[in-house]
Amino acid sequence: MLENIKKEFSTRTLVLIPIAIAINIAIGQLVYVLKLPIYLDSIGTVLVGALVGPWAGAVTGGLTNLLWGVVPPPLQNAFLPPFFYVAAVIGLMAGYFGKRGAFEKESPRWLSVIIGALFFFTLTFFITAFLNLKTDETGYTTYPTPGELFSSYLVVFIVAILAGAAIGYFLLQNGGYAGLAGLATGVVAAIISAPTAAVVFGGVTGGGTDLLVAAFRASGGNIWASVLAQGSVSDPFDKMLSFMVVLFILRALPTRFKAR
Amino acid sequence: MNSLSIYVARESGLHTLNPITKFVLTLCVLFCGFTLPGIWTSYLILTFVIVPLAMWGKVTKRMIQLVIKISWPFILSVFIIQTLFWGQGTALFEIGPLAPKIEGGVFAFHSSGRILFIMADFILFSLTTRPDTLMISLKQGGLPSGLAYIIVTTLQLVPQFVLKANTILDAQRSRGLETQGNIIIRARALLPLVLPLVIGSLLEVEERAIAIEARAFNSKRVETSLLDIPDTQNQRYARIGLVLFTILLIAGRYIWLS
Repeated sequence: MLENIKKEFSTRTLVLIPIAIAINIAIGQLVYVLKLPIYLDSIGTVLVGALVGPWAGAVTGGLTNLLWGVVPPPLQNAFLPPFFYVAAVIGLMAGYFGKRGAFEKESPRWLSVIIGALFFFTLTFFITAFLNLKTDETGYTTYPTPGELFSSYLVVFIVAILAGAAIGYFLLQNGGYAGLAGLATGVVAAIISAPTAAVVFGGVTGGGTDLLVAAFRASGGNIWASVLAQGSVSDPFDKMLSFMVVLFILRALPTRFKAR
Repeated sequence: MNSLSIYVARESGLHTLNPITKFVLTLCVLFCGFTLPGIWTSYLILTFVIVPLAMWGKVTKRMIQLVIKISWPFILSVFIIQTLFWGQGTALFEIGPLAPKIEGGVFAFHSSGRILFIMADFILFSLTTRPDTLMISLKQGGLPSGLAYIIVTTLQLVPQFVLKANTILDAQRSRGLETQGNIIIRARALLPLVLPLVIGSLLEVEERAIAIEARAFNSKRVETSLLDIPDTQNQRYARIGLVLFTILLIAGRYIWLS
């Protein structure tokens, strides 16, 4: 194992990592300023994971967030260093999926359609369940049953499934495996980042995702639930998009570069 | 690099301290601030630890300017969201659907304090430490040269990258790429902007790797440095003392809690 780790950190990798971190920060800061409800701050991390391997990916992710706190302003963002472990896990997972061929194997288009539809279905289910939860005086929270949700939001669910299928067909195309890997990474990222977001910053980090937290708070959720709900909406979508961007980048790169 | 960092050269005790001592101090203040309970803790640390240190380093005014400049959007955001969207609580007043809650305000005050002291802590460090001296002293203290290379290069690359991104933005706009308008138009502009930036930089990897290998990057010998960074025995004791104090404080807090 130690041998494998050493092998990942060749001179080329050491040169690649700063560039990847700069990519993360440049694109991430752009999205942060535009106040979009996503992050897109792990494209470089996923890229290193895919090109080199899990350990190099983890180092890229962790250092990105730590260094983001110390680069000169206006790029400086002191909210991100506490999330360095999340970024490291993202790099680790991207590397693992890369080793399993998520960025090389082409998936059939019908699989991409199913992945897209399933993702949007789950997302809709989650959001509607959250919007309909009831908290009684004693603070006990009851969630609506799936049956109730389907009957009251039938049209919404059908639209969501169709939209998901369309996204699967047109956006994922034959990159279904990369999309799936991104979704899995996003789910993990949402779960492990929620405690830090809630405890350290009370769920507000100054980016576009704050609007989602506000929306969930307004519908009656407490800080924990709202932050987790925001993460569950933003993260899987964000990571799926990042993995897809990396897939496009890898396809556009000359074979000579990838061969090393 | 100097023009891009916020370092301010002054003749002061804080400036002449070894960078590692200042780095340890910065991290210890950070950990202590998060460990100690209470809403006022962050504000107390700010007033009685960080500001006196800044006065010692003669950078108080600059530090306060920078902290305010960076943190006001966050503080505004945190107050609006936490007071207006706080679930149940006592409303301060009600105007139509707007009913700011006192509990939300208290929470926002707490979060803002944390952000202010984290910002001030890091900014004070950057104001009083030349970026290259920290890396040199860390390397002399045994940090692997690969890691040092990554950190230094990143800090230099990031500002360059943003310039490059703006050049690409202008170039694509002059070719007719729409970058303003609704969210779909902006989202579609993303790929034509991101791909040239990323691929262009990735192709530089080869050249950079050859360049640093030709300059004995992989050599195992100890490097000599042009800059002499002073370190004293007292500072070494002070560092160990700071770390022990922080560990005891964290341990004490959790033992006391349980």
